[in-house]
Amino acid sequence: MLFGRKHKNPIQIADKGVVEWRYATCGYCSTGCSIEVGLDDSGEPVASRGVADADVNRGKLCIKGIYEHELFRKTKGRGDQPLMRAGCHDEFKEVTWDDAFDHTAAEITRIQQTYGRDSFAIVSTGQIMTEEFYTLGKLARGVIGSNNYDGNTTLCMSSAVSGYKRSFGSDGPPGCYEDFEHTDCLLAFGSNLPEQHPIIYWRLVEALEKRKFPVVVIDPRVTMFAQMADIHLTVTPGTDLVLLNALAHVILEEDLADQQYISAHTEGYGEFGALAKQHDPETASAICGIDAEVIRKVARMYAKANAAMSIWTMGINQSTHGSDGVVAINNLNLITGNIGKPGGTSLSITGQCNAMGTREWSSCSGLPGYRNLENEQDRQKIADFWNIDAEFFPQKRGMFMTEILPAIESGEIRGLWLIATNPMTSMTKTGLMRSLLEKLDFLVVQDAYRDVETNQYSHVYLPAAVWAEKEGCFTNTERRVNLIRNVCAPYGNSKTDLDIFNQIAKRFERSRKMVFPETAEGVFDELKQLSEGRMLDYSGMTYSKIESSRGLQWPCNDQTSPQGSPRLYSDGIFQYPDGKAKLIALPFIDDNERPCGEYPFWLNSGRVVEHFHTRTRTGKVANANKFSPTPYMEMNPEAADKLGINHGGYAKLVSRRGDAVVMVQCTQRVAPDSVFVPFHFHECVNRVALGLLDPHSRQPAYKQCAVGIEAITDQQAAAKTNVERRSY
Amino acid sequence: MFEPRPKEPDYAFLPDAAHPENNCHGLPIETVPDGHALRDQSLNINGDSAIGDNPNRYKQHGFYFTADNCIACHACEAACSEKNDLPAHIAFRSVGYVEGGSYPDYTRLNISMACNHCDDPVCLKGCPTLAYTKFAEYGAVLQDPDICFGCGYCTWVCPYNAPQLDDAAGHVSKCNMCVDRLEVGLKPTCVSACLAGALDFGVIETTPEQRQQVATQIPGFPDPEITQPNIRFEQTQSLPASMSRPDSMPLVYQKPSSNKTNTKHQTTVKTENFEKKWSLKKLRTREDPLVVFTLLSQLVIGAFAVMFASDTFNLGLISNSSHPVLYPSLLFALLGIETFALVLSTMHLGRPHRFYRAFNNLRNSPVSREVASLAVFYNLLGATAVVAIWPESMFGISADSIASIGWLLAPATCISGIVALYFMHTIYRIKARPFWNHWQVLSSFYGSMLTLGSLFVGLILACSNWLSGHSYSAIFEVLALPITLGLLLESIGLLFHARDMKRSGGEGEASLHKQTTEFSKTYRLRNYGLVLSLMAVLILSLVSPSGLVGLTLWLLLTLIVAVAAIIGRALFFALVISTTMPGAFFWRNQGFVDHARETGLAKMSQVGVLADKH
Repeated sequence: MLFGRKHKNPIQIADKGVVEWRYATCGYCSTGCSIEVGLDDSGEPVASRGVADADVNRGKLCIKGIYEHELFRKTKGRGDQPLMRAGCHDEFKEVTWDDAFDHTAAEITRIQQTYGRDSFAIVSTGQIMTEEFYTLGKLARGVIGSNNYDGNTTLCMSSAVSGYKRSFGSDGPPGCYEDFEHTDCLLAFGSNLPEQHPIIYWRLVEALEKRKFPVVVIDPRVTMFAQMADIHLTVTPGTDLVLLNALAHVILEEDLADQQYISAHTEGYGEFGALAKQHDPETASAICGIDAEVIRKVARMYAKANAAMSIWTMGINQSTHGSDGVVAINNLNLITGNIGKPGGTSLSITGQCNAMGTREWSSCSGLPGYRNLENEQDRQKIADFWNIDAEFFPQKRGMFMTEILPAIESGEIRGLWLIATNPMTSMTKTGLMRSLLEKLDFLVVQDAYRDVETNQYSHVYLPAAVWAEKEGCFTNTERRVNLIRNVCAPYGNSKTDLDIFNQIAKRFERSRKMVFPETAEGVFDELKQLSEGRMLDYSGMTYSKIESSRGLQWPCNDQTSPQGSPRLYSDGIFQYPDGKAKLIALPFIDDNERPCGEYPFWLNSGRVVEHFHTRTRTGKVANANKFSPTPYMEMNPEAADKLGINHGGYAKLVSRRGDAVVMVQCTQRVAPDSVFVPFHFHECVNRVALGLLDPHSRQPAYKQCAVGIEAITDQQAAAKTNVERRSY
Repeated sequence: MFEPRPKEPDYAFLPDAAHPENNCHGLPIETVPDGHALRDQSLNINGDSAIGDNPNRYKQHGFYFTADNCIACHACEAACSEKNDLPAHIAFRSVGYVEGGSYPDYTRLNISMACNHCDDPVCLKGCPTLAYTKFAEYGAVLQDPDICFGCGYCTWVCPYNAPQLDDAAGHVSKCNMCVDRLEVGLKPTCVSACLAGALDFGVIETTPEQRQQVATQIPGFPDPEITQPNIRFEQTQSLPASMSRPDSMPLVYQKPSSNKTNTKHQTTVKTENFEKKWSLKKLRTREDPLVVFTLLSQLVIGAFAVMFASDTFNLGLISNSSHPVLYPSLLFALLGIETFALVLSTMHLGRPHRFYRAFNNLRNSPVSREVASLAVFYNLLGATAVVAIWPESMFGISADSIASIGWLLAPATCISGIVALYFMHTIYRIKARPFWNHWQVLSSFYGSMLTLGSLFVGLILACSNWLSGHSYSAIFEVLALPITLGLLLESIGLLFHARDMKRSGGEGEASLHKQTTEFSKTYRLRNYGLVLSLMAVLILSLVSPSGLVGLTLWLLLTLIVAVAAIIGRALFFALVISTTMPGAFFWRNQGFVDHARETGLAKMSQVGVLADKH
């Protein structure tokens, strides 16, 4: 054996000199991983690691979490000074925070006085802390008083919210990750766990290593998840509802339903059963593209399992009938008695780190603590708690984000405050977005990054702290409230979002008799008081208890569930006044754009593991970004061949909305009539995507539209266009 | 000592599993026996003198990869880069993939690969500076960047792309097996980070829980016989008959249809979609200095050999007595050219100031041997030149006594040069680079030596004769033989090389394919050049033109020969394809790296491509 040197130097292995680890919860997706940030002796954040005894991630992190410490000081484009300008074509000038706050408050007042209270809109996010959401809600609903206040969660989760509300009487995912350990059959609809939620995927893999159970993946693409599945159903885009109705049809027809559960805990079976009857597998097969026999097999497998669970993500939510899709999944679980039991659940796998927090506490769609504007008692309760007049609240929620932006066109919305959201990249019809934002009298962009594309059109830019430069809580997909301790001071002269909201509130007369706690923990106390005795009970939680438990799942109260609750509805009592869940008949109306002669391809979009949303963060973390540094399109090689398009070359995507230039990756992972483009990139897929809105949730159907594809002769010019469209 | 996290989970700890005595290649798994001098020493990690308490410290460890499970989530790569604080343009561990089938019956096989800490570490053997050590502890092959001078030879010989040449830092670094973690009983950080139950680690030849196979190969993985790598696989799901790579390597992995019993995929050439091109720009590579260095060294050695032969065998071309001014001038010119060539090859290093370390590994490294033998030639050439201009008497030594040394010096210089070229050729005889691993390298080097050396000397002598009004036809009559011989050697070598590469399949054939497609026109230009110069030599030596016309014709011929030689040598470097791991669509895709540099994407540092320096 060869050994090399006789006189060996000491082995050098990188040592980042971490002297202290601080507890946090990951700020990317909603998995809710516990993460520790390592500080060196000068207090610089230099490392991240998973928390070994956290139940969610058990010491693991995905690529984004592994490099999350780089966000604080190493990512380019952070904002360190408030900026202002008269018009969006002027140059920005650095101003003091006071000037920025005063001017913003003055402009909000001016716009509201001139055009009405609702003419100033606020669009927030799923990225900031629960305490910040609650404070923003207090500011938006109780002080500014605009009813056009929503979150960008409308782009990802509102179908799940709407579907849960329609089926169970309330939002709130009823299951948890531990259900993998108990289930006997898993259906995954439009959910690519390995890319979107790698840690949840790992939890599933761990469960499967211990005990094998069938996994069925419904996805038009052969994702890694589809490849790992026992059964992969390559559903025709936009037809999940038909498949789900057909599954219900087989279960009812073959008498596999849990009739006892249905009669004890549900309502609406008659109408539902009648509709399901019309969706026989043969008819369904012609629409959704899955063989009738396979539909029967899956339905039987699911219904016969002792416990069966369904998970879904954007494949269901981002559809013209996303809300119906969610209700259909709930229907499936209700008729098989698979709600609230170990291994039996309808679990929506959420998108953003605190999408749940905004659903619970932001007052976007109602009032804090899953309260509704439509409910007089709820309005009174919150008005009393905030010390305002209940009459100040509107009695019906206002516009969704996807309605607010188009309302700029008609002049209904004159001013807009965007918080940690980037519609320039995330909304469809990029060109239209530009002209909308240009039209605003006043646009405030509050974001950790000053190079966020939307900032091109702002009048005021408020630099916000990112992630653990602040303190507060996130709620994850399984209702687990977890804590982010402050790791380091906000970058430069940026401020925490909580501070920004509090400071703006102070500029309004109406806030004088209200209380705006200065610390996150002070705000958390209000959440505890407002949630006591409700389904989302926080009353048994404290910051230190959350940290030592590595997160607590609501409901959590000192009396019945001091350690939190893994599941909802285990007692079969739902949030409707009669305590019963609703089985809802869901006729399928095919209202989507479909491929045709001129636009012969389905366009599907989705996530890649190394990026988050519009890349304002991950696009600057080199060791993540390098895995997809520029947009690309998966295209079937046979289709590419016919059009004379080469692997690694550029092609042109065209639709009725516009065109885009994109690099082509030929792969048999997609069908010959389909292409897939990651949604993360500026000036790419959303130049061509359609995004019709779901009638219930107003969520855009990003997942399917029709496009044409053209070869590009001048590849150099195409490459140049691509480079020019990227600033990171 | 490395500090584990509080409540470190079970999956992070190394199991103590039973293992056979020997590995599948018949080598003992125990690295050194009890009582051996290498036992009970500290690894001195970052100067810490503690000794780890891992009970399997002196057993060969290796990675275990369940290929069926890998989802290409990049967690292993990121965890590795984070721990080792790596810049984005290098990575100790990378995930690539191969894919096959047709929608929806499609399979993608991801392969996560780092260093395999081989039993036969070709990196260690090849490294001229002795920067590598195979440690008795865990059998880890570790490299010390502080010793490395950045020649990148280890990156040539490694079939797995494990050593990472960082062009920004000027040195190589690589996977260190996380020996700091092993010392405290923890698995490497990449393994601990795996999110799909794909990557594992332990004493080699042990099968992790819930796994059955301990295979040594999967499709896309190079022949384990090259280095006897310490990695084992499980891959049980059946794969499509043809698997392709997403990167720009023109390779596919094909199950042979004729032989049904052989179920192994074999590396073959991807032949679709290739136009015949010039690709002149792509002739320029990082190894440009080596194109010049090898050709000039061959010219110098050839020229000296011609001068020596002429003197020794009285060929009447040139000798110190017949050309008292020209002869030593020529020698000094050759010395100057060789100095230039050597400086050029030194500047090619990442850390040129450490050039003297090239001699560290004479025992194993062909680079060390080449440098040493060239150094011998260079010094002898210098001595010969000095002797040639020795005055009547200097330092009390007379010209006569010096002449007797000169008599010994000249043949020694000539032989050392020829030997040096032999060693130069052994550098390229790399198993992981099949396109180079052929005797044609030697025939080409000796061919260039004969042709370039003879033409160089011939032209200078002819010029000198012509200027002084003498005929120069006799010179070329003599030199036509070595020139023709050199050209023939080159051509015959190329013919056999092409034939053998075609037969060899795999990466060698892929290089050949690249030669006849991407570089087709350039390649043909070189071949025409060779044939033309062969015919021209014959015609010119038969017709024997004189005067300025003749001289111009010979000069033209030299130009053609030189252009053909430069193109040929540049092709030699540009065409080689290593038996390396498949990349992904962006990361580890040379096609994308080139594209990012051409289009300016590489200017954004987060693209992970180091912008081209020239």
